[in-house]
Amino acid sequence: MAAAAIQLKTALPSLPDGWSAEKDFKPMGSLSQPTSRAIEPVGPHFLAHARRKRHKRTFSEDER
Amino acid sequence: MNAEDGDQASRTAIGISFGNSYSSIAYTVDEKAEVIANEEGDRQIPSILSYVSGEEFQGTQAKAQIIRNPRNTIAYFRDFLGKSFKEIDPTPCHASAHPVEIDGGKSVGFTVQETEEGEKSTLSVSEVTTRHLRRLRQSASDYLGKDVVATVITIPSDFSDSQKSALTAAAKAAGLDVLQFIPEPISSLLAHDAKQQLSESSSGAPKDKTVVVADLGGTRSDISVVASRGGIYSTLATVHDYELGGSSLDQVLIEYAAKEFMKKNKNATDPKSNARSLAKLTIEAENVKKALSIGQTAAFSIESLSDGIDFSLTVNRTRFELLANKVVASFGRLIQSAVQKAGLDVLDIDTVLLAGGSSHIPKLSSSMQSIFPESTAVVAPAASASAVNPSELVSRGAAIQASLISEFEHSDIEGSTEAVVTVTPHLQKALGLASGKDGEQFSLIINADTPVPVRRTAQVSVADGGDVLLRIAEGEREIKVTKEEKPQTNGAKGEDDSDDDSDDEPEEVREKVWKAGKVLAEAGIKGVKKGGKVEIQINVNTDLSVTVVAREVGGKGGVRGELEATKA
Ligand SMILES: Nc1ncnc2c1ncn2[C@@H]1O[C@H](COP(=O)(O)OP(=O)(O)OP(=O)(O)O)[C@@H](O)[C@H]1O
Ligand SMILES: [Mg+2]
Repeated sequence: MAAAAIQLKTALPSLPDGWSAEKDFKPMGSLSQPTSRAIEPVGPHFLAHARRKRHKRTFSEDER
Repeated sequence: MNAEDGDQASRTAIGISFGNSYSSIAYTVDEKAEVIANEEGDRQIPSILSYVSGEEFQGTQAKAQIIRNPRNTIAYFRDFLGKSFKEIDPTPCHASAHPVEIDGGKSVGFTVQETEEGEKSTLSVSEVTTRHLRRLRQSASDYLGKDVVATVITIPSDFSDSQKSALTAAAKAAGLDVLQFIPEPISSLLAHDAKQQLSESSSGAPKDKTVVVADLGGTRSDISVVASRGGIYSTLATVHDYELGGSSLDQVLIEYAAKEFMKKNKNATDPKSNARSLAKLTIEAENVKKALSIGQTAAFSIESLSDGIDFSLTVNRTRFELLANKVVASFGRLIQSAVQKAGLDVLDIDTVLLAGGSSHIPKLSSSMQSIFPESTAVVAPAASASAVNPSELVSRGAAIQASLISEFEHSDIEGSTEAVVTVTPHLQKALGLASGKDGEQFSLIINADTPVPVRRTAQVSVADGGDVLLRIAEGEREIKVTKEEKPQTNGAKGEDDSDDDSDDEPEEVREKVWKAGKVLAEAGIKGVKKGGKVEIQINVNTDLSVTVVAREVGGKGGVRGELEATKA
């Protein structure tokens, strides 16, 4: 049930000269503090969420 | 919730929308929700009980008794449930049985002549609710040919725990097991999304969107701003107006009709000063209002309105809209206040879903279209052909939820609706790609207010190919306001002067622009072929760590990296 990929319309910059990173991935920060909210326990997609949470499954494990 | 570990025999569960003005019952067949008509053929059943010579009437028949037998007719009681006498506003009941104190003021009741002879009885609001629900249950059971024993009931988003427990008990006494209460606006949104999914015959989650659900009812209006992300709903803000609703519009027509009557009959008694005349006028005003949602004209036609004089008056839609101007503006302000309360701009709203009976009114949907930008879809019968009947949205959503959970054990349902499951961290900032010369541009992949865990995949075309840089960043939405001087088209090629807004005021143009904020990571994708595509998948995990996977579409290998969880 994977959602279709989002198509972005943007021009990606070229890799700058001398750019290098271990395995080509450079972590630079963490997400901003999240906001805590209740999700509504309603609908089929919530049920899937609750099931994942209950069985501590990730999205890809859920799809198997 | 888990069906496998329950051995609940399949029970017949329906959805119930129980409003102060109307109730409606729905069930699902083959995943499609349908509203059930009662014996009288009504799908919108007035939430009214009336006692006439020892007999109980409900719905439309009971409503007619407001004229003849008002003191034995109980109406507009839903919001009194689970409240003390001091807490209620008895105004909507002025024309029917008046609420009285019972249990030393701890609850509310109505005193009516229930039996043909003998003493009057005082029925608690709980008892009245039980009787009303029992009849709804009976109508559903008759229609379905099966005993209905369970239900999902919708409630306003501000229903208190004591209101919920009173409703649970009242339903139980009517033979209905409440599987779950769900908020009315969320129920409407679920019904709308389900319809969309069916008509697009897509099985995936609905597109992420930010929605205003405006439930414009009879005696009250309730607005919710909801973030819908991967089909999961998070309420961002709610506002309520307990005085604004369809009856405010009936009132406008009543005033107008009474004035016209007095113009024609100078020496007659003002129909508004007599309870029975006023009741006739009120019922007819509602009929006229409803007719004007479809037709361009409608007529009052009342026998013996006042002093035995018959009354007829034709009203056209334009007249009604003029008279209703102020009320319509109040609906608009209420909805804008909800957007503001959510900390959002009208430009952030993708969809305005109009629910509740009053959403049939074309002027209300056109007024929404003028408040919101063109990019906002207004969903209402007058604005989109595919809109679900707004009077049916709430009960249909409840029926869908009922069919989803009817096989579950109570403990499972409760387990899944507890705060440990529902309270979830949501992204504070949007996530996406920073691009442009200085990395200032931002392309959205996951919007703010998305609950975690979440996974989204995006693709970008790389026209020139080569080695490209993906800069994963948080984004900020800004509202850019520019004053646009009217371009001087005078004397120009004279092609396009269809736009004849010829005032000299510079027009204010507001638009939503994304700016890149904090960069979280960089990833290099090397050797992309000309005209190739790069795909990036962002996984925000439950602990707020982030996994990024990026690769050329069809290419091998790719880049995978992790970002540490945010520290509290
Ligand atoms: N076709 C229509 N055109 C205009 N108004 C309509 C139409 N159908 C219903 N209404 C109005 O909608 C209102 C009822 O809305 P709804 O069915 O959502 O009631 P409710 O949720 O019970 O209301 P509340 O609890 O606010 O009293 C009434 O004022 C009714 O006149
Ligand atoms: Mg309602």
